[in-house]
Amino acid sequence: MDAFSNLIDGFGTVLELQNLLYAAVGVLLGTFVGVLPGIGPALTIALLLPLTFNFDDPVGALILFAGIYFGGMYGGSTTSILLNTPGESGSVATAIEGHEMAKRGRAGPALATAAIGSFVAGTVGLLLLTFLAEPVADLAVQLQPADYFALTVLAFVSVTALVGRSLIRGMLALFLGLFIGLIGIDQVSGQSRLTFGIAQLDNGVDIVLVAVGLFAVGEALYVAARLRHGGHDEILPVKGAKLLGREDLRRSWKPWLRGTALGFPFGAMPTGGAEIPTFLSYATEKRLARGKAREEFGSGAIEGVAGPEAANNAAFTGVLVPLLTIGIPTSATAAILIAAFQIFDLQPGPQLFAKEPDLVWALIASLYVGNVMLLALNLPLVRLWVKVLEIPKAVLTAAILVFATLGVYSISGSVTEVMIMYVIGVLGFFMRRFDFPVAPVILGVILGPLMEAQFRRTLLVSDNDFGAFLERPFAVVLLVLAVLALVLPATISRVNRVRGLGGED
Amino acid sequence: MRRSFAGPRIAGAVLLAGSLAVLIAVFAIPERGGSGVSGPRFVPLVVAIGLIALSAVFLLRTWVRPDSELAEHSAAEDEATHWPTPALIAVGLVAYAFLLEPLGYIVATTIFFAPVAYLLGSRAIVRDALAGLVLAVVLYTAFTQYLGVSLPAGLTPIF
Repeated sequence: MDAFSNLIDGFGTVLELQNLLYAAVGVLLGTFVGVLPGIGPALTIALLLPLTFNFDDPVGALILFAGIYFGGMYGGSTTSILLNTPGESGSVATAIEGHEMAKRGRAGPALATAAIGSFVAGTVGLLLLTFLAEPVADLAVQLQPADYFALTVLAFVSVTALVGRSLIRGMLALFLGLFIGLIGIDQVSGQSRLTFGIAQLDNGVDIVLVAVGLFAVGEALYVAARLRHGGHDEILPVKGAKLLGREDLRRSWKPWLRGTALGFPFGAMPTGGAEIPTFLSYATEKRLARGKAREEFGSGAIEGVAGPEAANNAAFTGVLVPLLTIGIPTSATAAILIAAFQIFDLQPGPQLFAKEPDLVWALIASLYVGNVMLLALNLPLVRLWVKVLEIPKAVLTAAILVFATLGVYSISGSVTEVMIMYVIGVLGFFMRRFDFPVAPVILGVILGPLMEAQFRRTLLVSDNDFGAFLERPFAVVLLVLAVLALVLPATISRVNRVRGLGGED
Repeated sequence: MRRSFAGPRIAGAVLLAGSLAVLIAVFAIPERGGSGVSGPRFVPLVVAIGLIALSAVFLLRTWVRPDSELAEHSAAEDEATHWPTPALIAVGLVAYAFLLEPLGYIVATTIFFAPVAYLLGSRAIVRDALAGLVLAVVLYTAFTQYLGVSLPAGLTPIF
């Protein structure tokens, strides 16, 4: 019951008129930016970071960002359904049936089941977070540097090996991120590293530069390159007054709960990620479908939207468990959230729970508020968000470039950093051309320095004896899991090939 | 489906060259901060070697056990790509960044917006020029007046 009373205290901090206003503004802004095609939740948060500068008190800013977090996710699923352009890999599964539903004139129910499903999954996920947070943080206090090192390795490997089509390209992306993360002054020795003589690089390359460059500029250049190719995206209309009928509700509630049950554990594990649970949920709903639903799968079954969307949101909520309690982000979006904390000199992790419990519980309470606000504001506003999609793509892309430049300039106040961001954007363009995953880069940049620090701390204590990593059973288990995640997918496909089961090469 | 390894080969060669440059930069890190596995050089060295090895494998797989999926993807991209557009936009971005401080945020953004929209296929020149101006003024006002971010005023010291 301790968690419960802490949560009540958190609500006490959050439930002020001004803070509720911040939550509403956050949800609206987050949805607005998230709806824009090609902009996922990670980029939404990165672009809106300058909004925090005027806050003296972190509570207001965190409430704003709780709203932006949920709004950005919901905005992304709106775009997936109406335009079939998922902004993040977690929305890909939603887009499959969602877009088909929209094509058949059922965009309204698809958006409604996504919104309510997100709310249900968010609420269940937040309840789990509330009761898991403190016990996990208590355990995390006992973690040694070797354990942290192993945790980061596992997070790297799972993002790289379990996502994307090629292990080599995933690993290359990860190592590019690790390289970018190493640039700058070494925290331990004070030596300048890998700056190639550019003085501005001494401070390192901010994660916001990397995210904005890869996601915004990279995507804009990619759109520009393919402009003469392919037709225009058609925005599907939202017809009818009724968003979610009785029949739709009857078909949706079980997939919502199943999606939540799949999404949260996957998100909360140190491997993180929303791709696996969303596709698992999609596959589950397809298999369980009977009667009319079975016929509809492939041409717009509501179960195929309700399940994956709930799984996506539950996974996103689950990601907050390792983020807040251990300080390890396991998705690109969580990595950018860390940047928001760092603006206020806060480092998520067990120490934050011990030192600033009021702040942490205020944040968790504000997530509840953001979640409710999302449902209250977005169902009535669906038609407004559809209007946002009608902005011509050329104007939109030009505006994204303006926002990207503004975001980086207002954080750094330096044209050099803007140029570095553009260079990363060109890199992002070529990564898209050659089908490299982008998320491992982001994770490498944010987790690389943490991994290195824990690695060196372990070796300093053990007097450079690598055996120290094998003395902690927890670390050993994690490292073994990491090796398995790296080796298993390749081995399974090889075994299948040998058996003639048609593993593709 | 058509396949092309030209793109991946160039990409692999560039990656390999870049990785070697990283390795050289690793050896430029002063050893003063301590040597050995807990010093400032060790992790960068591992990353550099990893980059070189992975780039080499990436390049190699355009010949040995070729990654046909990537070759098909690359061929489709080659067909769809119209190079002058992203190149011109990249030039536009660099010009934008350099003009930001001398001309000020509003003027630089207005000048940048409409031509980029034109490059991206918009032909409503008047609308885009107006949209650029309005966007620039709104953002400038919001950021400097309400968010406490200072943006270069340049030629337009309106606040």
